[in-house]
Amino acid sequence: MTQRAPEGLYPPTEEMLAEPVAPEVAAAQERRLRAVWQTRTGLGYWSSVNNSEIGKWYSLTCFAFMLCAGVLALLMRVQLAWPGIQFLDADRFNQFFTMHGSAMMFLFAVPLFEAMAILLLPAFLGARDMPFPRLSAFGYWCFLIGGIFVLGSILFDAAPNSGWFMYPPLATEAEGPGSDIWLLGLSFIEVASIAAAVELIVGVLKCRPPGMRIHMMPLYSWYVLVVGGMILFAFPPLIAGDLLFELERALDWPFFDHTRGGDPIFWQHLFWIFGHPEVYIVFLPSIAIAAMVVPTVAQRPILGYSWIVLSAVGTGFLSFGLWVHHMFTTGLPAISLAFFSAASEAVVIPTGIQIFVFLATLMVGRVTMSLPMLWIAGGLAVFTAGGLTGVMLAIAPFDWQVHDTYFVVAHLHYTLFGGMILPVMAGVYYFYPFFTKRMLSERLGRWAFWLIFGGFNLCFLPMHLTGLLGMPRRVFSYPGDLGWNWLNLISTVGAFVIAAGFLIFTVDLLRPGKPRLASRNPWKAGTLEWTDTVEGEDWGVRSIPYVTSRYPLWDQPEIVARMDAGRYYLPDAEEGLRETIITSVIDARPVQVQRVTGDAWITLAAAAFTGGCFILPTFHLYGPAVVAGLIAVGCILYWLWTSTARVPEKPMKDVGLGLRLPTYAAGPAAVGWWAMWITMLGDATAFASIVFGFFFYWTARADFLPPGAEHAVPGLVALAAAALALAWAATLGARRLNRAGRQGQAVGAVIAGMVLAIGGGGALALSVAGLAPAAHVYPAVVCALVIWTGAHVAVGVVMQAYCLAGLVFGKIDRDHDADLWNVTLYWHFHVLTVLVTAAVIGVAPHLL
Amino acid sequence: MAILAGCSGRQSALAPAGEDAAQLKLLFIVMLSGAAVLWLGLNGLFWYVTRHRPGAMPVARANAVIVGGGVVLPTVLVGALLAWGLSIMPAQRAPGEGLTLRVTAEEWWWRVEYWPEGATAPIVAANEIRLPTGTRTELRLNANRFIHSFWVPALGGKMDMIPGRETVLTLRPDTPGGYRGQCAEFCGPSHALMAFEAVILAPGDFDAWLAAEARPARPPETPEEIRGAEVFRDEGCGACHAIRGTAHAGLVGPDLTHLGARGSVGAGTLPMGAQALQDWIAHAGAIKPGVAMPSYDWIAAADLSALATYLESLK
Amino acid sequence: MNRIETRDDRDELLDESATLWRITAAPVIWAGHFLLCYGGAAIWCAKLGGGIGGLRLSILGLTLAALAAIAWNGWRGLRASEGVAPPELSRPEHRHRFLGRAAFLLSVISAVGVAYVALPALFIASCR
Repeated sequence: MTQRAPEGLYPPTEEMLAEPVAPEVAAAQERRLRAVWQTRTGLGYWSSVNNSEIGKWYSLTCFAFMLCAGVLALLMRVQLAWPGIQFLDADRFNQFFTMHGSAMMFLFAVPLFEAMAILLLPAFLGARDMPFPRLSAFGYWCFLIGGIFVLGSILFDAAPNSGWFMYPPLATEAEGPGSDIWLLGLSFIEVASIAAAVELIVGVLKCRPPGMRIHMMPLYSWYVLVVGGMILFAFPPLIAGDLLFELERALDWPFFDHTRGGDPIFWQHLFWIFGHPEVYIVFLPSIAIAAMVVPTVAQRPILGYSWIVLSAVGTGFLSFGLWVHHMFTTGLPAISLAFFSAASEAVVIPTGIQIFVFLATLMVGRVTMSLPMLWIAGGLAVFTAGGLTGVMLAIAPFDWQVHDTYFVVAHLHYTLFGGMILPVMAGVYYFYPFFTKRMLSERLGRWAFWLIFGGFNLCFLPMHLTGLLGMPRRVFSYPGDLGWNWLNLISTVGAFVIAAGFLIFTVDLLRPGKPRLASRNPWKAGTLEWTDTVEGEDWGVRSIPYVTSRYPLWDQPEIVARMDAGRYYLPDAEEGLRETIITSVIDARPVQVQRVTGDAWITLAAAAFTGGCFILPTFHLYGPAVVAGLIAVGCILYWLWTSTARVPEKPMKDVGLGLRLPTYAAGPAAVGWWAMWITMLGDATAFASIVFGFFFYWTARADFLPPGAEHAVPGLVALAAAALALAWAATLGARRLNRAGRQGQAVGAVIAGMVLAIGGGGALALSVAGLAPAAHVYPAVVCALVIWTGAHVAVGVVMQAYCLAGLVFGKIDRDHDADLWNVTLYWHFHVLTVLVTAAVIGVAPHLL
Repeated sequence: MAILAGCSGRQSALAPAGEDAAQLKLLFIVMLSGAAVLWLGLNGLFWYVTRHRPGAMPVARANAVIVGGGVVLPTVLVGALLAWGLSIMPAQRAPGEGLTLRVTAEEWWWRVEYWPEGATAPIVAANEIRLPTGTRTELRLNANRFIHSFWVPALGGKMDMIPGRETVLTLRPDTPGGYRGQCAEFCGPSHALMAFEAVILAPGDFDAWLAAEARPARPPETPEEIRGAEVFRDEGCGACHAIRGTAHAGLVGPDLTHLGARGSVGAGTLPMGAQALQDWIAHAGAIKPGVAMPSYDWIAAADLSALATYLESLK
Repeated sequence: MNRIETRDDRDELLDESATLWRITAAPVIWAGHFLLCYGGAAIWCAKLGGGIGGLRLSILGLTLAALAAIAWNGWRGLRASEGVAPPELSRPEHRHRFLGRAAFLLSVISAVGVAYVALPALFIASCR
């Protein structure tokens, strides 16, 4: 087989970089680049997949959802302004606070991180686009459809009304479609979130500019990496929980019903294993914005780069050991609570370090106070207050007193406003000139800041006291003789002051006639995004630079001129294809030219049918849902087949500066392989959550396993495990045979793999056919494991069929086997799933 | 003024009437003082650096700020606080010393059983708990259908009530008086209206009250009360409610044997009184969303009044 | 002229594998220690109940082992981060020093985390 390795000169020398580019050559290059990257106009605009369009839509949609959720909050504050007001009835109030929390978390805070990262990351990294633009587009459309569906339910008085953490049995027994809308609509969005996380992680690891070694990345990318990883491990437990929850709602499998061996506490574990990392998933990206703004304000590099990195990584880890502090009052043994109390206090340290790094950077720099810095400073003031009440709440006995009161409401809003909203606003003011080439108004910005900051404190500071005076959260009314009246009235006034601030901000955002940018780097920042010209071109960067500093614009004086001149890499688009450079993970050595996908409608269609598959079951339309799901799979297969891992027209390409890079990559060199790896980590986490369920019930319930229970048929389980293991071996064999040039045998191996997989899946299904999962949680959890594994068998077979078609129709050959590598990787994970499932359902019940 | 009214409020964690709540108040005051100092120090530094721009400081001093402020200071302070917090957990969960209450959360009210030491049958009440001072009482908490949470801020922390799991809370009140407890875990439409009175009595008073509570209901005496008892019977109230000493032994709703002696109607929703009882019987659904009790709005005014008078007489 | 070296991700990762392991080692030790403490206590209280003297002793032993492992890991990281570095940030020595320093600092944080998580064993003596 042909060797595919970069060849030529690298790194570029100063003489090479100093050599001028002929103006007519540059003009021709610009013409071609512009044609390739041009954003379509008219209806075709909506088929865009470029990160700047997707990122813009994504951010604006998040902002719109935030405003809706904010209006719900205002309406609630009216109801609570004084005792005895009958503005909202209990049920509507319950729908409103459920939707306020759900929308702020799932439709604003997490997606906004992804939106801003999609928008900014390529610019920070001098890349032209994200590695998988169509995946970004797919994620966005899923988010939009799911968000409108979930939020729209409030207009039909059909919204979920059990609180945003959806505790069973209240939420499992809730009448009407509210709970289903929450479960299915938000699961749909969570899947899109995970897709975006996968893309962002791969973007940070593989799409950096040549020379940007791992210790030189902008801090923002470190945070993206950490938060992407956290999403990957935090969201899957919730998705697994959603699956079990929906199985209970739809099929009456008693996972959370104590009368049949279930336990409502299990949901709380799954929810908070997601929910607490979620808080840091929201918080860290906003701190990342601060980490970009603070050095600019101080006009010097961040002091303690490695401190920030370690804090981000440390917080990421520790945040997974805190979840039970949301369950301090559930009556768990004191010693169990105490471990979580301790871990919750430990996370204070990495969080605090980040704040002190900012302080130290400002101390050694020459501070020029700008509007973004005002928002950052306000954010830190609010966040430190929220952090300090967090230190209090982590002390379990104190939490017993104030848990589920307005004290906690105040605390969580202090952390989210200070740790998210205010830094994000700083980011909007800071990056607005980069996105739009215009400036927001300084005067209106100060008005907005002081109204939001002042209103916030007016609203939420009194709530600490309201909570200590005994007011529980989530009450639609309260008696007038408990000393809460004036405090609530002040909070209501404060809420409207916040709203006035956001109104001014929105007006400023939307008003026409803002002044155009005078120079491309208005804040005199040091990072690559400010190389974008004041005209703003769709191509992102004119040429992809060679970077030797953390702050190239400060330390590499020629870089802007050379980028503009097309002196660096990929200054041209001779083949009329959208391209970006893939570099190695640690040292960012160029390894490949990645042809990224262009505008397409298929992603929108795929998202719409995926939406149908999730949304239709809400109305018990299971048949149409299956049809929609099949069409969605068809759309995705079409999209993959026509635009990913195609055999390129030539194996190598000259990228400039005497460097030639391969145009195709397979296995660990390919971004698709990394994406599969990362996705499967998340998938394995969801599976582990269900396995955790099995052992949770064993620990928590005396009647698990129930005496005389029916078990999965051991012989069939063993048969299924053996057949699926052989299917894995056949898939791996097919990849090896193809590499060895024996395509005929590879086709045979894939077919054998498919037959074995289908047989194994069937045996697995038969092994539990005799169980009655609605009768007790034991058969229910066994069947849930089988459903999970069976669904993965089905996906595995589709993948094998895809490879079969690839081998037959020449998409896969000896030199172009990326698809086979990715599918084999899927099967590596899958065979582990199968073996664990077999052990848990076939062996464990006979040992416990 | 609002603050003063509140701190002495009946449902305030800052006006403790028991050992546990007092300990937690002390913990809070100490934490609040520390937090205020730290917040002012940190934000004062930020203010100084960004507003007064003292000019570039040496890098070594700034690095010392990171190590000292970011690592050493929080490790020591938070570690000390954690140790204190952990050390009071066993006291907060000390075992009871005799009397046990079994409280079951229903939708949306409280079933209460008193089990004095050695008792073989409980003394049943509802929507009000009474505890003696000077001794630690154990509360065994259960829930019927949804998750609720038992919380009397003046006495101590809260404890969730979870279907299928019994949780245990112990409290040691020390100041006699009337306090208020409320459900603290969202539990559906009438979560806001699920409260109860918590009456703390000196030990002698408590024993006397418990002896009275154990007795059957006072029979109706005046013609009005007698008529009320007839309405109670005719409307089938006994299918759901029990009045000890009569034939009514329903278990679905709250026990009414000593209803008139309680402080509130509808689980802390209305203050006890004949008018409140009338409103409740005729319009329970409007007063308390989702309540299981039907609204008896067809009962004639005179009968309704008699029924309320009878119920109020059940002291 | 520098010819590009034919190295791929695998070579790079192997190059730095020791340091990369060290970076993750400390938080992973913390996580393992935490899970063993929590899981051990949960199972002990659910299945055995009664006194938890044995559990507390095991936690203490486990904690000493975890702290020793983290200390060793941090010391190795610190050594990797020492030495005079060339001024240009883009040299591989810097990358190596950075990874070593990150490993050391993460060890410090993880050690605090482990010590905190062990505190409950000192103060709490029952399953109540």
